[in-house]
Parts: sequence; structure tokens; C-alpha cells
Amino acid sequence: MSRPLTDELIAALADDASPVKPLAPPLQRGLAALGVLATVAVLSIFSLGDVSGLGTRYLGREALMLAEMGAMLATGVLAVLGAFFVSIPGRSRLWLLAPLPSFAVWVGLSGFGCYRDFVAAGAGGWAAGHSLDCFTFLLGTGALVGIPLFWLLSRARPVDSLPVATLGGLGVAAISAFLLQFFHPFALTAIDLAVHAMAIAVVVAIASLSRRRTLTPA
Amino acid sequence: MPFARAAARRRCQSDALIEDIVQDALLTIHRVRHTYQPGRPVKPWLVTIVARRAIDANRRWGRLARREICDPTAYETFADPAANKEDAGEATQAVAQMLTNLPPKQKEAIELVKLREMTLAEASAASGQSVGALKVNVHRAIQRIRRGLGREDDA
Repeated sequence: MSRPLTDELIAALADDASPVKPLAPPLQRGLAALGVLATVAVLSIFSLGDVSGLGTRYLGREALMLAEMGAMLATGVLAVLGAFFVSIPGRSRLWLLAPLPSFAVWVGLSGFGCYRDFVAAGAGGWAAGHSLDCFTFLLGTGALVGIPLFWLLSRARPVDSLPVATLGGLGVAAISAFLLQFFHPFALTAIDLAVHAMAIAVVVAIASLSRRRTLTPA
Repeated sequence: MPFARAAARRRCQSDALIEDIVQDALLTIHRVRHTYQPGRPVKPWLVTIVARRAIDANRRWGRLARREICDPTAYETFADPAANKEDAGEATQAVAQMLTNLPPKQKEAIELVKLREMTLAEASAASGQSVGALKVNVHRAIQRIRRGLGREDDA
């Protein structure tokens, strides 16, 4: 195509350019989304969750519980905020790395807790606990959190949709895993942990693979 | 525009693709103009969009280059190889010359019926010749042109 065609294209686009309302800054949109999500989550936890079961599960190792859940929450929050930032052209790509440290801590602490249980329980540590319930919960919660989140992200029509979808998927998976702790008052076995990891990978993969449909990239 | 072209040129070696990338980027800018926040620098916003479209264009070009080859014969116009010969233009000139040498009635008949593809009734109305006379004149004209081509081939 040639430069005269470019000039014609500019003229045609300028004729067609109706006024638009700029999107709010990504931090503001991300915090608003997380605020609504937190409100719904708190209401759900106190009406349907098993907070006392969580205390029983981590009795004597509250510090591990706090660190693990803090890492999950930090991963979810940073990944969701990162997805909002990366969806806007020209914003820092360092947001892609923001959730990685907390994600590493989360994986490390989960593995460590599971290993300690395995050592304590012996061969029983390989038994499948409530894996299927957890898997279903993670996918179901992932859908409930992910659909409105991806709708919000799609309003930016990201020009590079893969990092947005991957960060969004990781955020959804981490928040789902965080919420699972309040509905899952059982000790984890190695198999359970593997199923958790698989469910999180499935949520991230679904989010990434369906990005053209869900994020409507420009 | 020079800024967008320079940004495209930094990511693309092919001059032919740069204008395509710029035009793709313009369309994208039109679609995502609501993501630009007034007050923020425009250059990083613009460069990100152009860079993304350059990556897309390079990938598209790479895919095309992998599965398509350059075949000059694909650009020939007609299935019959003889029709694509370089001297086809000379043959056309020879036929045009023969048409000018035809008697006026035969020339008029062949122009209306064969070149303009009129029906015999339309050609009759346009020329004033009867349908029968048109048929005869077209036939004779073709015979005359064939004889002329035969002489050229013999020569």
C-alpha cells in the first residue's frame, strides 16, 4: 500500500472519529474490580464458608497459614492489577513480573507444607483427599471471578492479548485458591496439591486460549 | 506520521511492509483511542501499538514466505501458453490491419456482430443491413482474414 492511501485512510478515520470517553486509569479500574470482588467474597465466606475449619487445619502452624494465604492473595491482587496495566498500550511491561515473587512463595510454601504432612503421615501422604471437590471448586470459582474480570479487561481491547489473558488467568486462579482455603478445611496430601496445581494450570490455560473471544483484541 | 513510520522501520526490514504496518496501526489507534489517557505521554502509547502491528505483520509475512513460492508463470493471463507469448501484441496489430483492409460492409458487420457482440437483430438495426446480408458479410470477412493470416504464416 502507498502513502496516498495512508493519507486517504487518515482522512476517512478522522471523518468517522466520534468523541470517546477515555477509560479510567488502570490502577483505579483494577482496585474497583478487586473491591467489588472482596465484598462478594467476604459475604460468601461468612455465609457459606468454614472459617473455624481453617483454624483447625493449620493448628500449631498459623504462621505458615498466614504466609501461604498472604502469598496467594498477593499473587491474585498483583496479577489482576498487572492485567489491567498491561491491557493499556505504553504501560510498563514490568507488571508481567510483579506476581512472580509471591507466586514462587506460594508454590514453595504449599510444597513445604505438603512435604511436612507427607513425612508425618508416611505412605498416607500419597492418598487422594478431596481432590475432585477442590478441582471443581477452583474451576467454578474461576469462572465466577473470571467472566466479569475478563469483561472489564476486554473494554481496553488489548493490542497484545496473551500477557493480559495469562496475568488475568493467574489472578483468577490465585484468588480462587485463596477462597478455597475458607471452604476446604482438610489437610493437603501430595495428590491434592498436584490436583490444585493442575486446576490452576487449567484456569490459566483456558484464560489464555480463549483470549480472542473474551478480550476482543483490537 | 513520520514518527509512526520510524517506529515501524525499527522493527521491519522490508520497505514494502512499512506502509502496511503504519496503516494497520492507524486502524488500531482508531479502535483503541479510548485507552489513551489525556495528560500522559503519547509516544509510548503509539510505539506500543506500532510495535505490535509490526510483530503481527512480520509473522504474517513469515508464514506466507514459508508456504508460498515465487512463480513468474503464475502471472500469465491465459491458460493457453501460446496466448501469453510476447508477440501476441503483434498478432493483434496484424488482425487490426486486416480489419481496416476489409470492404466497409464486411468491416461493419464483423465489428458489430463479433467485436461488440451484438445480436444479429441489433446489428441489423444499427447498420441498416438485413440479417441475411450481415450473416454473409461476417462469413466473408472471416474467410478473408483467415486467408490473410495463412499468407502471413506462409511468409
